[in-house]
Parts: sequence; structure tokens; C-alpha cells
Amino acid sequence: MSQRQLAMVMDLNKCIGCQTCTVSCKTQWTNRNGREYMYWNNVETYPGVGYPKKWQELGGGFDSAGDLQPGRVPSIEGNYGVPWDYNHDELASGAEFKPNIEPTWGPNWDEDEGAGDFPQDNYFFYIPRICNHCTNPGCLSACPRDAIFKRDQDGVVLVDLDRCQGYRYCIAGCPYKKIYFNPKISKSEKCILCFPRVEQGLPPACAQQCVGRIRFVGFLDDEEGQVHKLVHKYKVALPLRSDKGTEPNVYYVPPTEAPPKFDAHGKIIEGSNRIPTEELEKLFGSEVHQAIKTVKTEMQKRKDTGKSELMDLLIAYNHEDMFRLDSGYYKEYAKKHSLTPKKLLDERYSAGKNSNTMKFFMPSNAKGGDS
Amino acid sequence: MKNLLKVLITLSFIGSSLIASNSIKAMKIPGNVSDIGPTSKAWLSTSYQDVIVYPQTTIKLNDLDANAMNADNSAKKLRVKAITDGKNISFLIKWKDESKSIQEGYSTTSYGDGFAVQFPTSYKDSKKLPYIGMGSVGRSVVVHLQKATGFTYEPNGNNDVYHQVNENNQNAFHEDIQKYRIKVKETAISDYQRVFISEGFRSMTQIKDGSESSKMQMVYKNGYWKGSLSLPLKSSYLNLNKGAFPIAFAIWDGDKKNRDGLKLLSSWIGVKVVGKSGGEKLIDLLNEKSKGDVNNGEKLALENCAACHRYKNVNMAPDFMAPNLSNIGGYSTKEYLMESIVEPSAVVVAGYNRNAHKNFTWYDVDEKGIRTSTMPSYEWLDEKSRNDLVVYLQSLKAEVK
Repeated sequence: MSQRQLAMVMDLNKCIGCQTCTVSCKTQWTNRNGREYMYWNNVETYPGVGYPKKWQELGGGFDSAGDLQPGRVPSIEGNYGVPWDYNHDELASGAEFKPNIEPTWGPNWDEDEGAGDFPQDNYFFYIPRICNHCTNPGCLSACPRDAIFKRDQDGVVLVDLDRCQGYRYCIAGCPYKKIYFNPKISKSEKCILCFPRVEQGLPPACAQQCVGRIRFVGFLDDEEGQVHKLVHKYKVALPLRSDKGTEPNVYYVPPTEAPPKFDAHGKIIEGSNRIPTEELEKLFGSEVHQAIKTVKTEMQKRKDTGKSELMDLLIAYNHEDMFRLDSGYYKEYAKKHSLTPKKLLDERYSAGKNSNTMKFFMPSNAKGGDS
Repeated sequence: MKNLLKVLITLSFIGSSLIASNSIKAMKIPGNVSDIGPTSKAWLSTSYQDVIVYPQTTIKLNDLDANAMNADNSAKKLRVKAITDGKNISFLIKWKDESKSIQEGYSTTSYGDGFAVQFPTSYKDSKKLPYIGMGSVGRSVVVHLQKATGFTYEPNGNNDVYHQVNENNQNAFHEDIQKYRIKVKETAISDYQRVFISEGFRSMTQIKDGSESSKMQMVYKNGYWKGSLSLPLKSSYLNLNKGAFPIAFAIWDGDKKNRDGLKLLSSWIGVKVVGKSGGEKLIDLLNEKSKGDVNNGEKLALENCAACHRYKNVNMAPDFMAPNLSNIGGYSTKEYLMESIVEPSAVVVAGYNRNAHKNFTWYDVDEKGIRTSTMPSYEWLDEKSRNDLVVYLQSLKAEVK
């Protein structure tokens, strides 16, 4: 258990599957040797096999008694897909454009396929996935070298590459398969929740770059924060596959809004929803029913009265409100533990429970001066 | 006839516990042994000693596929030679492995064969040697490890981030990309040889400052691996410059996804330096033949151990409740078994991460980090019973096939 927990909320109603988050993570971190196949952040289509292929069936996590479950280590050929490239260099000399290997599988191979029959009831939605920085991480429990640790200050789960010997039991232990083996350095690597950015007042790259503004970042115990409100106050953001017992800290607002189904004559079936709630229940547990209800009720409330705090949150007006990184807390923590506090690169997202910050931009309706 | 068979079986059962590991004789030879590989002619001057390695079954790791592949592992015979020049000592280890496995290529499921040699940092009290599984608190070991790998790279090697970035992210083409590739290759490490200091499973830490120098090599030929280790008799961690010292071996089969605890390991074996006096007591202890009533021991184990420990076909205890004893006889000394029965907290096996099976904690930890075993002492057993129990425990081990 860490002192506090930094968490992320993703609103699946707004994810358009553009992979900007994936690309931002790729260019920020995973463009190094051996990380070609790694997607610390990926966006997969549901229903679909996901990345790595069939990750939900590869074991790991805990059973109800709290025992770590055995799992499988996915292979690049079978589960991730061998990364390929094209012969751009040779095109100038008249060569045929071709991949260096015959691609047979890769991330998003089944993108947008979904399930159901077109046009009656076909459907799909996107799930962006990063490391869940679990409160009870399966990877940490599986490591025989105690090379994985959960940071005390914010609960970020990290691999100590000095201790890691590349045994890969962590991969078997993670039910989300969000820890990867780097074959070039023979060590395991994973999403670091951009902690070097967070410590300097910048939100994780995937969250800042998100064009749909679906990602909220903040401390779970920060009652003023939008993350806290979505997870604890309105309970509309739910952890993914919480039945795996790792207590994940990335929360999802389930996709509540989908077009209605068509009948055999192509007519709209009023009141129907293409996304079966049973499917959402598989991912987010039985709490999903209440979450959907709350979102729907608040939406109606907004229509009727024009007011709804939840709708305002989900509209995501300002990055400053969506990202509350509590820089004052990091500064205090560093002082207390004789670490060097990081200089802030950006002060816009530094608000939080332990931080007194000034707003950079005045709201447009605010009056200047004391006239 | 039936009775005779019974007697024979009983005899062979007792017999198996009587076979003690014979010590390895280190011959002194002229010249320098600090730099000899497995194919050196220097090895011709001495003969092999058999050492049996047993499957590690004390804890079960969490890789489904690997566990299935290793479920029926038998013990294996290693052949070991040792020579010394008075300043350095070298070991040659030969073992059969039908498949040569090297951890290489762009793969997450490739594992290399390998071997390790373990020494205690202190063996003054030969009755209290470190725990065989990478030492124990206050009884540290040095482990020399060699694995068969292709090229690997240090993370952030020499802080040269530029040459770690994938070539597709470089603004380089044609000759420039060729040059870049050469530069990257120059940063590669081709030899996966490591030295660790450890006070028990989980605590193993790599010695990176070069203070523990050694040379290891492994070569594969005709279905056999031959591995060599040369190291100085005296270093900052080890003092092997005595008449005798303990040693232990482990091997990994990459083809069966072996790594870490999925391995075969030996018990502590005595190395006798020929022509050097001292160490007789240690050799005697490690070679000591236990005598006792193995049937009574089995009965006592069922009465006293089986509620918590699993072993062989006795699986009444919940999984993960306590160390599995199925191969305890293979990799334990008599003294260790006796000590563990009487004083369970003397050596506490760090076992699973305490979070992995939280209903079955093998030990408690106080605020100072001191571990106390949850096993009660069996000091109340009379001496004969204790001895019979040890004789039975020593018989728990896989057969060599």
C-alpha cells in the first residue's frame, strides 16, 4: 500500500480510437531498442481479442482467497505479432513496396470488427489500456527477485531494472499482460505512468495528448479532484476486470451511449442499445448497471434543468481541472525524504489537496479588478 | 519371495539414504588456472566426481506452461572436476542436455541453458552452513552464474540513450544507418556472466563493482554442456584458501523454460584441496551417513509434518502453506534438516512474495525486519525420533533417470 494513489479515469463514451495516446507513448518512451512490440498504452476494439491476443485468458491475478494465479507468458509470434517495416529506402531505386516480413498478426489487427450483424445490431467500442498501477499488483507478487515495487508517494508501480533478471514471472502474474519483456536487455519493462513528467507538473503523455479529452488524472483521495468525483462521488468510473483481484487504479466510464438497433426492415427499435450490458458486466462487474443508470439520470437532469455536475465533469472543459497533479505534495514528500524536489515545467496542472495554486487563466465571465 | 522382496526394498530405501555425496578433490597442478576454459588440457590431469542435482520443488512458480513442462523432472547427474594452482581454483562441470538452448532473438519466450556455482562466505561453523537456496539471513553466499544468451544490452548503457533509440526513429539512411547499426552493436554484451551476493532467495543482488572476479564459460558438444568457473581462492567476499570448503551447483534447461527457481540444484558438497591440511570435520559432516529407522521417520512425518508440508504423494496440506519437501533430501544436509526441526527460525526460507499467498505466511516479520518462522519447534521429539525423521526426510528426492 502506498501513502496515496495517483489514478486515471477514461471516459469510453468519448474514445474515438485514434491512437494518439499510443503514439504519444511510443514517441515518449517505447521507441527504444527491444520496445518495438511494446505498447505501454494501446487502444483495442471490444469485442475483440485485444493486445496481446486473448490477454483475458492468459491467467494471472488473484483468486477470491487471495492466491496468486499461475499464468502464461505471451509470445511475440503468437500473441503480440512480430513488428514489421517497409522498404522505404529502396523505393527510390524502383523496388516494389513490400514489408520486411509477411505480417500475420499485430496490435489492432481486428480493429473495428466488433460483433453483431450489420446493420441490425453490430457494435464495438474502444478500450484504451495502460498499466493499471494496481493496489495489489500481480506482477509485484510474482517477482521472485523483489524487483518490482509500488512507489510510496503515488502508488506508481515500477520495475527496478538493476534487480530484474528477466525471469518473466511478472508477465505471467499480471492479469492485464501490461508488463513486457524486452528481449534486447533481457529485462521486463512497463508503463511508468509518466512519473518523471508528473513530478514536474505535466500529466502523462497519453492523457495530455488525448484529442477526445477522455482521460482524467489525479489523486484518488483528492476530494476536489475530478478523478475522485467520478470514481467515488458518482461511482460512474469502474475498474477493468476487478474480478482479477489486483485492485486496478485505472477507471473507466462505461460506454453508455450507442445507437439503437434496427429491426429486420431497417427500422429503428426505439429504446434499444447496441452495446449489450452483459458484455459491459464482463469487463466492469455488476456495478456497471448503477453506473449506466447514474449517467443516464444525470443526462436527463441536464436536459430538464440545465444543471448537472457530472455532465460538466464528463464534458471536460479544462485540462487544468482534469489533471490535478498536486505538485505541492510531491515537493513536500521530496523534502521529507531528503530527495531533490523537481522544478515544475508547467504550473497549470499542479493543483491538488496539498497544493495552493493560482489559476493562470481567468474564467471569461470573471470580472477583473474591484470595480 | 514376497518377503525377501520387501526386505530388499526396505534395504534399498535405507540404502538410498546412506549414499552420501562424496567430496570433490581439487588437485594442485603447476601453472595458472585463472584463465582456463572448459576445453583446456589442464583438466586431463584429474578425474570426474559425480554430483547429483535435484529439481527445486520447495516453492512452485507461477508460469503455467513452464510448470507443466517441469512437473515430472527427475534428478540429474553432473560430473565435476576441480584443479587449483595454489592461488586460483577452477571447476569443470559436465552435464547431459539433449537440447542446446540459447536465449536470443526477438522473442519473449526464449530461455537459455545455464549453470551456477555457489559458495558460502563463511563456513567456520560447518554445522550452520547457509541455506542451499541462495543463502539465508546472516549466512550469505556468493553465486557465480553463466547463462547461454545471444547479445544483450545494458538498460541505459553508459547513459548512451542515443544508441538505444530504434533505428526507425533515427534521421539516418543508407550508409548512416549502417554506421548507426555498427555503433549499436558495439554496445552489446555477448557474455551473460554474473556474480551475486545473497542472503536468501529474493535478496540476491548483483556484484557490479568487479570486486568478485571470476571467469566462466560454457560450450556445447555432442549433447553435453561443459561449463568452467575459475576464481581466486581469496577475494573480498570469499576465502576458499582452506583444506576444504563447501560448494553447490545448479543447472537450468532453457528448452523447458527453466530460469530462476525452475532449476536442478545440488546439496552442499565438500571440496577437498589435495595436499592441504584442515577441513576434515567439514568433509566428514557433508559426507556423514545417516542411519535410522526410515519407516518410523515416515510415520513421524505423517504425524508431525504433513499437516503443513506437502511432499511426494502426501498432499494433505493446503498448497503454499509451507515449503514443499518433495526433494528436500536431495538438496539438504543432515545438519540443516536437524536444525530446521529443532529451531525453525534459524533459517527462514523467504519463499513466496508475502502478498502472493497471504493466507499462508511462512514467517512473521517484526518492525526490524527479522523473520520468525510460523513453524513450531519440534525439540520435544526425542533424539531417536528426530534422527529417524531426518533419515526419512533425506530419502525424499527424485531419482536419477
